[in-house]
Amino acid sequence: MQRTIMEALLPELTSPYAQGQAMSTIIMLGHAASALESAPAYDAAEIKDLRATFAALKRLGDKHISKKSGLRGALARAIRAGAKNPPDRRAIEAEMATFAAAVALGNADDGVARQVRGYIRRNLERTRKLFVNSLPTL
Amino acid sequence: MPHARDHRVVGLKRIAGGSSRETYAFDLEWSEAGQPRTRAMIGRRDPTGGLLKTSREREFKVISAVHRAGLKVPEPLFLELDGSVMDRPFFIMDRAPGRTGMGAFAATEPESTRAKVADDFLSELARLQSLDYREYGLEILGVPKNPEDPARIQTAHWHEVYERDRMGEHHPILSAAFAWLKANPVVTDRVVIVHGDYRSGNYLYDDNGIIAMLDWEMAHLGDPMEDLGWASMTFWGRNELAGGLMEREAFYRLYEQKTGHRVDRERLFFYRVLGDAKMVVICLTGIRDFVEGRTSDSMMPFLELLIPQLFEDLANLLRLV
Repeated sequence: MQRTIMEALLPELTSPYAQGQAMSTIIMLGHAASALESAPAYDAAEIKDLRATFAALKRLGDKHISKKSGLRGALARAIRAGAKNPPDRRAIEAEMATFAAAVALGNADDGVARQVRGYIRRNLERTRKLFVNSLPTL
Repeated sequence: MPHARDHRVVGLKRIAGGSSRETYAFDLEWSEAGQPRTRAMIGRRDPTGGLLKTSREREFKVISAVHRAGLKVPEPLFLELDGSVMDRPFFIMDRAPGRTGMGAFAATEPESTRAKVADDFLSELARLQSLDYREYGLEILGVPKNPEDPARIQTAHWHEVYERDRMGEHHPILSAAFAWLKANPVVTDRVVIVHGDYRSGNYLYDDNGIIAMLDWEMAHLGDPMEDLGWASMTFWGRNELAGGLMEREAFYRLYEQKTGHRVDRERLFFYRVLGDAKMVVICLTGIRDFVEGRTSDSMMPFLELLIPQLFEDLANLLRLV
């Protein structure tokens, strides 16, 4: 389809706006084609990492996760969502948002912050790879 | 144009840019007192969907006001709010000459051009921030009642748009950013006209500097640090160059010289965080409108590719990595 747009459609387009639309469509088709292949592995890695991060947070124990911060409830919900079959990724991410907010606000214990920052670092790295790999070569 | 006769629209073509509006370039030909006349114009029509949900009338009034104040903007000419004329409301303005880019100022431009554009960029911002909004009837933009309001109002607005357009997804970094913004609202020292999208990519320029600042649809009243923070976001820059124009600290020093006001680092930081969060939300809105069929603009899904960089910038600012 990209070749069709490039070779059959683009030469016929005279408007710069239409040419721009065709070019961005080519880029998005490239991204979509790549995502079809790489997204399942990305999703699986995300869920695995989220579950592992929450398991590590649970292992830290209650003294690191204060009840007042609301993080204990978030941790329990994340563990439950991760135990579902299939795991409820959106629900786990919602609880990760609670933990990330606590870190940003300075309301998280050092051990908790280390785990959360580790997850975010890995998440950004995976996302960077996913998107860089899906950019098309024209 | 009461004395004009025989109007003719010539060379109408849609152009890219200003993704929140459908933008058309054309020449208007007419006769006046027996003489043929022509003028290059731009038409901006409401989209069916897209990046922003903003008011055409409001944008037109802001451009009219800043044009009257002598800022470098295209001259606004006609506003038509009746959707029956061209399906949706639109306005017509002068077509300024010059070139533009998508984001950071092009590294391929000559150094002398870059220096002139950088100087004009901050001169125009200083002039905008020196205007008395009351004198230009811009109370219609909503006057903040308290010095804390600008930060709180902008945070609440963009958080609301995030909740509306996130399509069920949770983005931990973005959620953390909004939690931080809500917990750390800054207090402005004065209320100014905020462009709302003041950055490289939103001006026309030539070798002598900036010809016109564009895209005023997000204008509002608020904190002067908001436009400065937005303009100097890593996202619009290149390496350490704010907007691709000037090394960031030099950029802030020049701003201080031009405005006579110091850069408040705490407020600047707040608005850089808000800026990154706002840009992610704008992308999410465009993506949602494309997914749900309100726009067919192929640039909208492309926005997804911009989000990872914004998340990285936010994570760095908030020490989430």
